Amino acid sequence: MAEIESCFVFNASTKQSIFLCFQASNESLKMELLADVPLLPGEERVIDKDIIYICPFNGPVKGRVFITNYRLFFRSVDVDPAVTLNVPLGVISRVEKMGGASSRGENSYGLDITCKDMRNLRFALKQEGHSRRDIFDILFRYAFPLSHGLQLFAFLSQEKYQENGWTVYNPVQEFRRQGLPNDQWRITFLNNNYELCDTYPTILVVPYSASDEDLRKVATFRSRGRIPVLSWIHPENQAVITRCSQPLVGMSGKRNRDDERYLDIIRATNKMTSKLTIFDARPNVNAVANKATGGGYEGEDAYQNAELVFLDIHNIHVMRESLKKLKDIVYPNVEESHWLSSLESTHWLEHIKLVLSGAIQVADKISTGSSVVVHCSDGWDRTAQLTSLAMLMLDSYYRTFRGFQVLLEKEWISFGHKFASRIGHGDKNHADADRSPIFLQFIDCVWQMTKQFPTAFEFNERLLVAVLDHLYSCRFGTFLYNCESARDANEVKMKTVSLWSFINSDRASYINPFYTVEFVHVLYPVASMRHLELWVSYYIRWNPRIRQQQHSPMEQRYKELLALKEQYLRKLEELQLSDSTSHLSNSTAPSPSTPSQRVTHLQTPF
Amino acid sequence: MFPMRPLKPTFKSYLPPLQTEVKKTVQPPIKKLEAKLLPGEIVVNEVNFVRKCIAVDSSREDLWGKLICTNFKVSFITHDTLQLQKFQYTNRLLGEHDIPLACVEQVVTVNDAKGKQKVLGSNQKLKFNPTELIIYCKDFRIVRFRFDEAGPESAKKVCLAVAHYSHPADPQLLFGFEFAWKRHHSSTGARLNGVDIEGGPQVPLFDRPSDWDREIKRTGASEWRVCSINEGYAISPSLPEYFVVPVSLADQDLKQYSGFFAGQRLPLWCWNHPNGSALVRMASIKDPVQQRKLDQRICTAITKSHPKRSDVLKSDLDKSLPNIQDIQTAFVRLRQICVIEPFEESEERWLSSMEGSRWLEYVRAFLKHAAEVVYMLEGQHASVILQEDEDRDLSCVISSLVLIMLDPHYRSLVGFQGLVQREWVMAGHRFLDRCNHLKKNDKEESPLFLLLLDCVWQLLNQYPTAFEFTETYLTVLSDSMWIPIFSTFLFNCPRQRAEHCREFVQSKNSVREFNMLRFPCVWDWDQQFSRKDQALFNSPLYVGKGTSCIHNGTVKTFRRTKKTYSSTLRGLPSLPNGMLMEVETLPRRNSLAQRLRPDFSVAREAPESPSERFFREWLTRPADPHGLLLPQLLPSHLRLWKLYFLRWVPETQIPRGGPITAFHRLSLLADEIEALQAQLRRCGSASTSTSTVSTPNISHSESSRMYFKARSPDDLSSPPEYLTSSFPFSPVGNLCRRNILGTPFSKFLSGAKIWLSTETLASETL
Repeated sequence: MAEIESCFVFNASTKQSIFLCFQASNESLKMELLADVPLLPGEERVIDKDIIYICPFNGPVKGRVFITNYRLFFRSVDVDPAVTLNVPLGVISRVEKMGGASSRGENSYGLDITCKDMRNLRFALKQEGHSRRDIFDILFRYAFPLSHGLQLFAFLSQEKYQENGWTVYNPVQEFRRQGLPNDQWRITFLNNNYELCDTYPTILVVPYSASDEDLRKVATFRSRGRIPVLSWIHPENQAVITRCSQPLVGMSGKRNRDDERYLDIIRATNKMTSKLTIFDARPNVNAVANKATGGGYEGEDAYQNAELVFLDIHNIHVMRESLKKLKDIVYPNVEESHWLSSLESTHWLEHIKLVLSGAIQVADKISTGSSVVVHCSDGWDRTAQLTSLAMLMLDSYYRTFRGFQVLLEKEWISFGHKFASRIGHGDKNHADADRSPIFLQFIDCVWQMTKQFPTAFEFNERLLVAVLDHLYSCRFGTFLYNCESARDANEVKMKTVSLWSFINSDRASYINPFYTVEFVHVLYPVASMRHLELWVSYYIRWNPRIRQQQHSPMEQRYKELLALKEQYLRKLEELQLSDSTSHLSNSTAPSPSTPSQRVTHLQTPF
Repeated sequence: MFPMRPLKPTFKSYLPPLQTEVKKTVQPPIKKLEAKLLPGEIVVNEVNFVRKCIAVDSSREDLWGKLICTNFKVSFITHDTLQLQKFQYTNRLLGEHDIPLACVEQVVTVNDAKGKQKVLGSNQKLKFNPTELIIYCKDFRIVRFRFDEAGPESAKKVCLAVAHYSHPADPQLLFGFEFAWKRHHSSTGARLNGVDIEGGPQVPLFDRPSDWDREIKRTGASEWRVCSINEGYAISPSLPEYFVVPVSLADQDLKQYSGFFAGQRLPLWCWNHPNGSALVRMASIKDPVQQRKLDQRICTAITKSHPKRSDVLKSDLDKSLPNIQDIQTAFVRLRQICVIEPFEESEERWLSSMEGSRWLEYVRAFLKHAAEVVYMLEGQHASVILQEDEDRDLSCVISSLVLIMLDPHYRSLVGFQGLVQREWVMAGHRFLDRCNHLKKNDKEESPLFLLLLDCVWQLLNQYPTAFEFTETYLTVLSDSMWIPIFSTFLFNCPRQRAEHCREFVQSKNSVREFNMLRFPCVWDWDQQFSRKDQALFNSPLYVGKGTSCIHNGTVKTFRRTKKTYSSTLRGLPSLPNGMLMEVETLPRRNSLAQRLRPDFSVAREAPESPSERFFREWLTRPADPHGLLLPQLLPSHLRLWKLYFLRWVPETQIPRGGPITAFHRLSLLADEIEALQAQLRRCGSASTSTSTVSTPNISHSESSRMYFKARSPDDLSSPPEYLTSSFPFSPVGNLCRRNILGTPFSKFLSGAKIWLSTETLASETL
């Protein structure tokens, strides 16, 4: 009998760790319970306790909870199949006490835990003797270590991997892959000490004809000094994607000659670009409203050789509310009677559509040979979404297993998407207005693309889920902190393990068998509600009424067929070997079908 | 070409006769545009210099040619080729631009200059010369022709002819009759355009006792027998001549009982579970006095046929499922939002419009109901009676679904086709009325068969490895309903078919040839497609019965395993033997949503029912594609069948994308494996001779079941350029929504909430 699968995390980390108890659950229920709690190197047990898990699907389940410095682990007793929960503490966004000592009713006294990954957990305890006090305190401390002067687990982990994921991304190497520097673009180390811009990486690519002095001047006119720098260059038409933050136009409509000249230099790097397209990710009104706080957008008069396009993508607060509504209709139960209209009213897919169609517009401009500038307000949320998605459409390298990691490292991590603030790693302030599922939304967009182009990506859905699970888990250093300077200051690369070390050590699990290498084509997904789907295997994965699959049946089947092919080939070889030995002729075993022979009649005429 | 001996129409004349000009079929000069005609097909009217609209926004891509109306189709012939279409998926019965008349849903004529438009029905007059003809098709296409350069009178005649001939006054005017007749008498014998019409389909048609016997044996239903009291349709007009009944019911009893059932439709056996429980479908009992007694007798008989004498449960479909009008309404709404409403404007409210159509809700209701029945048969070991007033509509869908879920045989191509033949054609589903081939009674029209196909698609989508066929097959099958030459979809029941055939032959004054009218069967796919194109029906994912597949390094053969079921019903509520139980008596329509409420939303208040527990536990086990299959019923897991509903919509096409690209990749691998298999076989058979091993297998490519073929070992070539999410269909020229007189067409239609209905718009001329 299988475990109730919905109740444990479907990701690679648990695949390994859950293994023990998965196997043991039936045969050795009498074994000491503590023995089969899976621990990572560096993980330490803090407390364990008899508790009742109030499963929203199956009702109360008696069992024991174990809390370590990394996870909350629950195992049922007396239930077959055993119910288990394996939740990294990083996933927890909020812990609350439920009921009081005098609360009436069964299981009304306990803990209510809200998670960042679309689920809530409820535990009930005995009412007598403040039985929940210790566990609540410990959970509160270890789930929010940064609020209690403790370290994130990533800094305590002793995990070792063959691969060193920190070497996945090397900016100079990546720019070299793009053919940079060239006669129009140069690599600058001006930001080596994060003096130009503290949220940018150290290595930047800027127009050859812009001096360091120019850059400094431009930085004064761009919010937080995030000047326009190159993200990607088209290998043939030399059109570029540049990214930045909003110009500091303000209420008075300030102008800055240096900024205007700088954008014109960017335009001029590509001879095809007569007008530079500036994609402002925000809705028009939001851009106007930003003037009140000193920001704004590029006015037409000031930037003569540019055209400004607003992409109508809403801000982090709107996205947060949207996801909250989505959670309401999928957890614990899927809204049944009005599913589609409820889904529509969350606007989640509509936001996905806007982000995707924005990226399509960027990609389309580039592939027609026109350079673009992309920004929003600060240039670390919507901008990152747009540039990285456009790059995914334009450059097949980013659709490979390695390339995708480089893309995330480059456009998100190095360019200062504020992971710490958006996710709230180890922080107890669950209501912090800075939190927002921007990165999740991006991964959802990638998933939508993989659905529309099932052969175009080298990685599979499991990788996307694993990335999201470790976005919260705090087991790896990859997504910690807001920007490169903070990561440097905290010696993340020295003291923590990279998520890519873990992923790349188990590459086979994350490979899409249908992947077909292709270099030339721009991938334009159809950003229409007709095609966008809710990613049910992520958002609804905790529901026991869906089939949990480690691998998609299609992938599974493909692998079976591959094995079958190997088997046949082996057999054939054996037969031929025995033939050739008996006849002492024809020593070269012919391949099952020589290409030249088959091409003649197998080519399908179209 | 076929010799057209008579110059006068040989088919029954439509009244009043239109301006019929029967063309002489002399061998045309090579360059001339000539209609390609099937046996028995004649040209009614034609017009030259017609422009077929291709793109919505420009006329640059438009094609010039001749528009012809025959007694079978609307044909557009051109020397131009479509620029955008780079692959060929051709139907042998139809040209690239042809529309069978039976596929015409509505004919709209427009005169731009005068600002007039009219929906044309049968036998109508047209007071203006049309500048444009728009044909709305049953398969969701919208095809437009412009007559700017054409002779106004001929254009008008063609329009009138299309309208007239797409409303046949009598079933025998459906082209299939003439076709079957001509084909039979044609001097060229059995060959037609290279199509071999002899080699009969291997699909059992269930029109003879042996087909039923085989099915009884296959399912181990030893307590059931083939009954032939309806030979010559002596008892019931809508039942087949042979069907299966409990052994304990004698012919005498059955004859006596039959009078009490609606349409004299005695209970029909569908299937036996290995545990002995049976699925039976039954019409309602008309006589209230007899009802109790008769019910009891039937149940007793079914119980006696159960090896464990298990209970009989009754499922009243009329009470628990939407009715045929509900389904039609949902379908019309869905069509409206899929192809009529302007694309961009409908984006924002797409999801709620989908919900508003209720189509997916109904798909889910049927799947859910079928799953409940599966639970009774499999989980409760009880026999089940599906009861519907006439037993000719809802029960066809439910019984088919139940069987597909329970028995992997029906997920194979032959099995599925036999299933449709049995549970639909032979069981007397009113295809003629439900398809509304005569366009006489819109109230009878209902897309029940499409609903089944959609339900099957949902299962296919959730369990892609469990089916031998593909979604392309399902789509093509549904399109075949609108080609009126297949006996499958032309009649309301076998008897009607027999009678019409006899009458038709008699009207040809050749009594001696009675019973010689043989319609092709849709299952004879060679009629429509080349073997190569038929390969698109085969799923590379399927591990067929008897086909070996690798499992832990050993080749294992999948077979239907006969499990031994325990006789005790542990943990299940036991019911008094033979007692009738109304399962799920559910309110209709308005409260449909309510009964679909989450079942364990409030786990503590509403404990999980046994069937829910059964479903949930099944879901936690790894799915066996060749075992029981249950649908995932959360609304979030049911999808719009995009290939069917959106294939003509240009905006939704994903160029070089869609599921077909993965299918392509899989096909290459499956093809390679087939090649290796063939080679191994040869090695095995000719192990003495070495030479055979290295000889390239010439025959392989022809016999390959895969549409996409590996060009070399380890062929990793990228999907061909022409693949799109609509493949093998193409929106090019098939969906030309247009603005009429500057107004979006939808505005013009705004009065009619549904698909243009003849009544509402026939009188409307601006």
